[in-house]
Amino acid sequence: MAAKKTMTLNLTDAEMLALDELSEKKDLSKTAVIRQALRLYQMVNIRIERGDKLFFEDEAKKEKAEVVVL
Amino acid sequence: MSSFDISIQARASGDFHEATILEGLAPMDLLVVEREWSPERSNLMQELLAAGVDRRKWPQSLHWDWSKKAPALRLLESSGFGLVCEKKWQGVMMTRTASYSARLKADRGKPIVYLDFLEVAPWNWVIQDIHRSGLFRTIGLQLFWRAVQQSLDEGFKGRVGLHSLPRAEDFYRKCGMVEVGHDAAKQDLVYFELTQEGAEKFLADGGYK
Repeated sequence: MAAKKTMTLNLTDAEMLALDELSEKKDLSKTAVIRQALRLYQMVNIRIERGDKLFFEDEAKKEKAEVVVL
Repeated sequence: MSSFDISIQARASGDFHEATILEGLAPMDLLVVEREWSPERSNLMQELLAAGVDRRKWPQSLHWDWSKKAPALRLLESSGFGLVCEKKWQGVMMTRTASYSARLKADRGKPIVYLDFLEVAPWNWVIQDIHRSGLFRTIGLQLFWRAVQQSLDEGFKGRVGLHSLPRAEDFYRKCGMVEVGHDAAKQDLVYFELTQEGAEKFLADGGYK
């Protein structure tokens, strides 16, 4: 694996709770959750910058909603 | 870029040759791969045409072009691996770590290493119709092994998913992958998944049966 650097992350209680929940649900360490989040955020940003749109789709209800990413 | 030393076996002599799996390929590396493999793809195509081989029996990745896959390596979630022996790219693989998750019930929603593309060099292909016996064996298996290792490194417990080309399905079954089913969203290819238990067995068994 590529060399890694360490950083301190300051999170609110709510953010830490969300991180704990995701870590439990996805069976990942907290570091791995943050890393996954960064990968997804980068990928979504690149797609949006080139003009793509991001949607959530509910197949059962036939509903589709665009997600606005800042 | 990091590397692992391995050995691969020549089909004709049975001799083992020193080889290296390189991890962290850059887009430029894939351009070099394609430049190296492209003439061999053309030669094979001409031989297949000259021999009148039915196109349905042609190698299913004959049309691939790694230079077109190269830009994906700019994404954090994408990783490129290459197996080098005798100063030539003998096989290449690309994986993703964020856009796919496990589909099997026991692990549904958990992250996996998704094996996006894996191809061995055209001179390693076995094509009986044109009497091609391939130079080296187990290139694909060694790269698949590396994908399982990547899954462990990432904390994904060895889980790996992929859509298989039809003629590679048996290979992935023998690696212990579970056939999930045809996927209409991916050219109706069969989706396979390696579970945590499957990965442990794959690594313990030496990989393949």
